[in-house]
Amino acid sequence: MKLILSTSNIMTSGSSVIRRPTVTKSNVELINSLRANIVEAQAAASITGADSSTSSIFEISDGTPPQKSGYPSWTRKEGDTLYIPAHEPTPLAEPRSSYKITVKLFYLPGIPPSRRCEHTKQAISLVLKELGAESIDLLIVSYPGVSFDADDDGDSEASSAEDDSAVSDDGAHGMETMVRTWRVLEAFHDNGIIDKLGVSEFSSDRLAKFLPQTKIRPSKDQINVKDCCVVPKTLIMYAKQEGIELLTHNDCTDILPSGTIRELLGPRKEGAGVLAATADADDGGLKGDIAPQWVIKYTAVVEDRGVIENKGYFAMAQVGSCTGEES
Amino acid sequence: MGLLALGTALEWSEARKAANHVRDWGIEGKERDALLWGDEIEYLVVAFEHDRRRVRLSLCQAEILKALAKDEALSKSGGCVAELQKSSKLGQSLPTFHPEFGRFMLEATPGKPWSINPKDLLDVEPNMKWRRRIAKDHMAENEYPITLTTFPRLGTKDEYIKPYFPPSGPMLRSQFVPDEIANPHIRFPTLAANIRSRRGKKVEINVPVFKDEKTPSPFKDPTVDYNLHRWPEDDDVRNGAAKDGYVYMDAMAFGMGSCCLQITFQAKNIIEGRKLYDQLSPLGPIMLALTAATPIYKGFLVDTDVRWNQISRAVDDRTPEELGEKPLNDDRWRIPKSRYASNSTYISQDPRLRPEYMDPDLIVDERLKQKLLDGGMDDLLATHFAHLFIRDPLVIFAEDLNELDPEGGNHFENLQSTNWQHMRFKPPPPDADIGWRVEFRSMEIQITDFENAAFSIFIVLITRAILSYDLNFYIPIPRTTENMETAHIRDAVTQAKFWFRKDPLPHHRSSHASRLNGNHTAAPLPTPGPVEDEYRLMTISEIFNGSPANPASPSTNNANPLDAPSSAAAAAAAAAAGGGGFPGLIPLLDSYLNSLDLSIQTRCQLARYLDFIRKRADGTLWTAAKWIREFVRKHPEYEHDSRVGEGVVYDLLKKVVEVEEASAAAEGGVVGWEMLGGMATAEAEAHSVIDAAGA
Repeated sequence: MKLILSTSNIMTSGSSVIRRPTVTKSNVELINSLRANIVEAQAAASITGADSSTSSIFEISDGTPPQKSGYPSWTRKEGDTLYIPAHEPTPLAEPRSSYKITVKLFYLPGIPPSRRCEHTKQAISLVLKELGAESIDLLIVSYPGVSFDADDDGDSEASSAEDDSAVSDDGAHGMETMVRTWRVLEAFHDNGIIDKLGVSEFSSDRLAKFLPQTKIRPSKDQINVKDCCVVPKTLIMYAKQEGIELLTHNDCTDILPSGTIRELLGPRKEGAGVLAATADADDGGLKGDIAPQWVIKYTAVVEDRGVIENKGYFAMAQVGSCTGEES
Repeated sequence: MGLLALGTALEWSEARKAANHVRDWGIEGKERDALLWGDEIEYLVVAFEHDRRRVRLSLCQAEILKALAKDEALSKSGGCVAELQKSSKLGQSLPTFHPEFGRFMLEATPGKPWSINPKDLLDVEPNMKWRRRIAKDHMAENEYPITLTTFPRLGTKDEYIKPYFPPSGPMLRSQFVPDEIANPHIRFPTLAANIRSRRGKKVEINVPVFKDEKTPSPFKDPTVDYNLHRWPEDDDVRNGAAKDGYVYMDAMAFGMGSCCLQITFQAKNIIEGRKLYDQLSPLGPIMLALTAATPIYKGFLVDTDVRWNQISRAVDDRTPEELGEKPLNDDRWRIPKSRYASNSTYISQDPRLRPEYMDPDLIVDERLKQKLLDGGMDDLLATHFAHLFIRDPLVIFAEDLNELDPEGGNHFENLQSTNWQHMRFKPPPPDADIGWRVEFRSMEIQITDFENAAFSIFIVLITRAILSYDLNFYIPIPRTTENMETAHIRDAVTQAKFWFRKDPLPHHRSSHASRLNGNHTAAPLPTPGPVEDEYRLMTISEIFNGSPANPASPSTNNANPLDAPSSAAAAAAAAAAGGGGFPGLIPLLDSYLNSLDLSIQTRCQLARYLDFIRKRADGTLWTAAKWIREFVRKHPEYEHDSRVGEGVVYDLLKKVVEVEEASAAAEGGVVGWEMLGGMATAEAEAHSVIDAAGA
């Protein structure tokens, strides 16, 4: 079964404000917003839903453990897909031309690259539907395991799991895989859905290997630097020369580990009660292994006013006995 | 300071007759797609006389403006001084220079408004520096445009102005400053004279003296002359105008001669303008305290750090009846605040605006309000304008009255521009392609353009965060009035606490969530608890940098899930957000900025500004007020008796110029370290690596 998790618009929920943000990478925003959106959907269901007499998701002061609404009351099932929570799009308020829509697509570690074509299609269509738009201005891709370490002065790179794990996971070289995935994205560019493409965490070395193999060149390279004023000169020079703009970010690459998602959806106190405690526990939750496949972050900014109207995430996970690593 | 149409100003008694006409005017709505904003930098012009170790105010405004105008004309025809030629190189419009109240003052604004584009944000600081260089280029060799709020020895007995004029002229009738201190444009002396004649006496500005080890006690301002008999107003001091323990001043120039940092935004439409007006209002006193820069008046260290109340008193035109000193007879009402004061209205049609937030002491002109209501204006806005219009227009030009045009904005602008509240809501002018604007007016000017840029951009970003996150900073207006007083406390940044809303984040997705159960009506707003539970006292550091969850957090305070199930979702969202504590304005801005695709260069530069403000707020870096006070107290010529002599001021202002020049040149880093922490310099160097590579 496919699980589609969503945050709704996190700008108006307050859940996207990281109280002590740092430049270190984190997935706090994603996890907090997913949790907040689930909690809110549960609360709404328990207020307006059928079983409101018994359910409250809150711990009462005497310590009575909270009871949860059954997840069917606040999720929606369509065919083989479960939307967590049930979700209604919130189309943009002003004409499309007022906005800059950016997405960042995270392919998650351990998922066969052969699925990326389908995953990309799913992720983008969810975003377009959410925003009521037909195109995206910029898509930045996050390949699993690729990380950039500014301390290395850009001449060498930190362990790049796409390269290393690529051999074990894909049986192919990382760069080759990345290029093959890029072809998928180029196709979205060709049919007018994505205007510009960007990469993340690419060092100058990696860019140098990557660029010659692209038809549509990346126009942005998004990197995380601990002290953001220290960027390796080699990268600055190279990006300038190649006409690539360097952007900042603070997302971690492994943005949604399977342990985190089980915690989020499992039966325990903090969990949403969608998944069983373990793959084969018989507690009313969905059984089987859980395997997050991709995460997409979207942002719609009213460009001339600098107002972020809509920002959120979708994530997809497979649950069941057959979520495996096979291609 | 508003428009400066040339004309013949009316005397007060004539102006009064016309007042009722001027209050009738019309306004209309306009929509604008883009944010445009502007900053205003005000300078004092000082002249150093190194051989005599003194520095004086230079009354050279008119000459400088004339020279600038001539060069600007030249630049259009191709030839002019080098600084002006840069405009083509920088691709920027020439800045605009304006006269100000004091003849020793100059105001400079960017040649065209800023957008929210990152490139514009990065241009602000260089543009401010450029403006200062252009100004400097049009002055004498020994003259400097400095950005101190006030000249420390304005109104002393010595020759503190150049050229020198003796005090006690017919317009100001001040025993400390001459009429020539004010801009000779008819508007300014008339303004001053009308305030004086409306009051029936001179303005009274008493600032508590800073009690140092050897300050006489009781302190009697030794510069006050009790034996002057030229004007009837010379009786003021014999009637107790000067108070024991205070430094006494008696003219508009002591207030309106102060330099401020003001930011104006064009809103998308009237709705957004009203929202920003309300939401920025509680930030006014906080930003005043954080930019504190005014510890010296008339040659004495004083016990307050900011200019605000001095300006307020310097233009306080209330009559004894309005002040409550006499029973109401001729006047219409008692008025609790000066026309220069913290603002007294909220105007946004926002469901979060609770009636309890409004000022219970608000005075409105009910007759005018009814007319506005009859004309179709809503209650909040009608109340706002009917409140502003309790003031009489101070300057009316005779020409305007002959062709009185009720639709014209000139009359409205006239009243608006002599109502100096800390927020200003500006309707679109009738003849220009400009939308609704909001002006943020409380900040003090900073010594360096690095700081001025940092605070300007901070305010711009806060408005973007307010709109993006739908932030809620509402507190009752009397708490903001109180905060404005608190901001005067010496070193309020580290010593005082301010009323601030505990939870500024929105929690209103319930309506959205409820839709999925087929319930399409919006979920009810959470039942609000007592207003007093919504805010608490916070330090400036908490407000800017955030505070961890504590027992005063809203989730434990307000929302008992059993009593108020509808607020439960909100509380849960807050809890899920890691909640309870105040998130902090800087973390809010970081979250906002991290949601935009900013280039590394932009993000680094903005981080530098935010980091500076973060450190100013937590006390790591000093305010200019503290830095100046410490400079004086450590000066060998200072005798610890609160008196700040000519020699001390000479060295102080030399240091001020040095700090500004070092930061402008992005070198040094030692000068003014306590204020700037080397941030205006050291990181600019590191940053220039990126610039160089990008050039």
